[in-house]
Amino acid sequence: MYRTLIGTLALGAALAVQPALAQKTTLNVGMASADAGKLDPHLSATTPDKALFNYMFNGLVRFKPGSMNPETIEPDIAEKWSSSEDAKTWTFNIRRGVQCHHGYGEITSADIVYSLQRAADPKRSGFSSDFKDFDKVEAVDANTIRVTLKSAVPSLLGLLTNYHGGNIVCKKAAEEMGENFQKKPVGTGPFMFSEYAPKQSVTLVAHKGYFRGAPKLEKVVYRYIPSDASRDLAYTSGEIDLLYGKGEQTWVERMGKLPNTVVEVFEPAEMAVLYLNTKMKPLDDLRVRQALGHALNIAEIVTFKGAAVARPAKSIVPIGYLGFTDDVPLLKYDPAKAKALLTEAGYPNGLTIKIIHTSLPGMLSTIEVVQQQFRKSGIILDMEIVEHATFHAEIRKDKSAIVQYQAARFPIADTYLTQFFHSSAIVGTPTAVTNFTHCNDADAEIVAARSEPDQAKQKALWKTAQQKLMTKVCALPIYENLLVWARRGNFDFGFKLEGSLNLGPVVSELAHFK
Amino acid sequence: MIRYIVKRLVFAIPTLLAVLTLVFVLVRIVPGDPAQTILGDQASQEALQALRQRLGVDKPIFDQYVDFIKGALVGNWGESLVTGRPVLAEVWAVLPYTVDLTVAAILLGALIGIPLGTWSALHRNEAIDYATRVISLLGLSFPAFVSGILLLLAFAIELRWFPVISAGKLDDPVERLRNLTLPAINLGIIMAAYVTRVTRSSMLEVLGEDYIRTARAKGVPDRAVIWRHSLRNALIPVVTVVGLYLGILIGNSVLTEIVFNRPGLGKLIVGALNQRDYTMLQGLMVVYAFLIVAVNLITDLTYGFIDPRVKHG
Repeated sequence: MYRTLIGTLALGAALAVQPALAQKTTLNVGMASADAGKLDPHLSATTPDKALFNYMFNGLVRFKPGSMNPETIEPDIAEKWSSSEDAKTWTFNIRRGVQCHHGYGEITSADIVYSLQRAADPKRSGFSSDFKDFDKVEAVDANTIRVTLKSAVPSLLGLLTNYHGGNIVCKKAAEEMGENFQKKPVGTGPFMFSEYAPKQSVTLVAHKGYFRGAPKLEKVVYRYIPSDASRDLAYTSGEIDLLYGKGEQTWVERMGKLPNTVVEVFEPAEMAVLYLNTKMKPLDDLRVRQALGHALNIAEIVTFKGAAVARPAKSIVPIGYLGFTDDVPLLKYDPAKAKALLTEAGYPNGLTIKIIHTSLPGMLSTIEVVQQQFRKSGIILDMEIVEHATFHAEIRKDKSAIVQYQAARFPIADTYLTQFFHSSAIVGTPTAVTNFTHCNDADAEIVAARSEPDQAKQKALWKTAQQKLMTKVCALPIYENLLVWARRGNFDFGFKLEGSLNLGPVVSELAHFK
Repeated sequence: MIRYIVKRLVFAIPTLLAVLTLVFVLVRIVPGDPAQTILGDQASQEALQALRQRLGVDKPIFDQYVDFIKGALVGNWGESLVTGRPVLAEVWAVLPYTVDLTVAAILLGALIGIPLGTWSALHRNEAIDYATRVISLLGLSFPAFVSGILLLLAFAIELRWFPVISAGKLDDPVERLRNLTLPAINLGIIMAAYVTRVTRSSMLEVLGEDYIRTARAKGVPDRAVIWRHSLRNALIPVVTVVGLYLGILIGNSVLTEIVFNRPGLGKLIVGALNQRDYTMLQGLMVVYAFLIVAVNLITDLTYGFIDPRVKHG
């Protein structure tokens, strides 16, 4: 009896010290992936890894949280910077008191120099080509670095944000760990790596010494849940608070109806484009390419994808990118005109085009609609459907007459134009990236714009490039698919989420549960 | 007996080598580039080539094969091309989850399937028999991912008895059992359906044998006829089927692991295939081949326990 009484009192006391409603401090994120990749920000470019790097790393500068507009770039590890008149020499002043995770010490110019040189080294980085115009990066003193460029680049600050090669790694940790760095990454961001459970999750804990102040959340558990249905169910059951969504209207509507749930639709949009191989028959004939353009009903595809998540593409550069213009010749849907053009090109009975396409459901459903639309104009798409990794390998061997590609890039026109339309990027060449069209008509404008210091002139060059390439019908832009995530209504990012270049919402020191 | 086991294991070596060689060649014939998977579609050719070199996938296929065999013989299965973690460590990390799931599914299958099959056979062409046959057919034809989602909707969303994410740590036995329950039921249903049907037909065959009639004529009680004379003899085909269907179980476990968010060999192999993680695929194939060989051996040895007339030597 006595013992029971003491026990009850002890339990009562223990409960009494608990706050009436304990504030939740662990964020559970559900990501559409089977597992983590290499957790080195200079190596991995997959969506699941990039979104996670966001929480752990800083750049010299950063996009304003919740935005991906290059005009909002603000100080991060660098507190201020200046550049020479010709924009070839840049000096950055490093903020004092920026601490590396796990006690690896304060960031100095040596860390920045090491990190940028590492990002520019093809042996240690997948983003080395972004830094090809870098001549040298040197430490002026312990808190100042200088970047000297061979030629001005369109957006140097963009390269130095916490994105891809701009993520700053801590020198001592990276050198000490070598290859193991990718298993236990060390940065300076608000959350630091704590644990990896294979095929399950990565756990991050608050970096109490974060220079913007200790994060309000104690822990972030980033769970890998590849099945769309299971991820949604895990959210419904309360096991996750923030999840990667399917970019479909039905998903937005369904999740929006759940209690205490906010669906976030944000930039960047992945633009779906049909790249036409202008060197392959019958697409080497301009009239055939124009016919394809007139056979394509973009409005119908946008309706099919859903207005909440998709919008029609207006150019070969996505909407909102610096240098985007809609003053380009877009081909209107007109099946009769398509047929007439085909007849003129010598195909009065229509024609068959063989293409290779991925089995990835989102992309496959798009091309299936396109296939039906083309059929109305007498164009038969003979599709060889292959698994996604095979698709990527085959299209790079120049094997498909039409390549449907969906991508989001750093939001300036140069990235799209260089990677998809400059002659140096033509597939099958030693410097290949993703030019499947073989078009090289705007090389001069693309190159000139890169080093044009006057932004108005730069934009004019990009506009001419888009007009030339669209007139030649090198590609048919279809639609732009925005990113979709959902979160608990009482979870607050601490800012308005309008965009995130790393393709996942930024979880910063401000994130908290209300 | 020991000699028999050793002999079987020695014979397994050429099988393992053949499987390994086949997998080694096949995964490399399929188009796809692990470097591209890792570095993404914006990577320069220079960076891709540097990574291919570092991963060793730019060497002639024969050199890669020799390197791999050399490593495998000394227990070094290399590192996953994608995650950079040792293959063996990755396999070991998920193996307990697969073993848990497989053993639980087989147990559940046997516990449901054998009594149900026997019962059905004893009531041949009665309502119970028809019902069992229809239900077992349903169990067989239901895709694992559909039954998985239905189980989650009922027990994780409506009743909230079990979690949707059935992964968790293994050191807490209660948690481990809680996480295992739904996936094990999902996979166990399929196994139970197989076992029910095989037990039923096997029992029917045995029940028609002369020695059963003799036993009954001698006045042996029904219970003894069923348990001692019929079921024991009927079990040999059941054991064979359980052994054979282990492969199918592993196949179905991929879907179960994905739906229930459990780590496991199935999920590992699908991920490795999608990402062209050659070293991981090789390691996993060796594990699978070894598992199949081991299961066959255990199946053969079990015959001897069930039926003393079966001798190994």
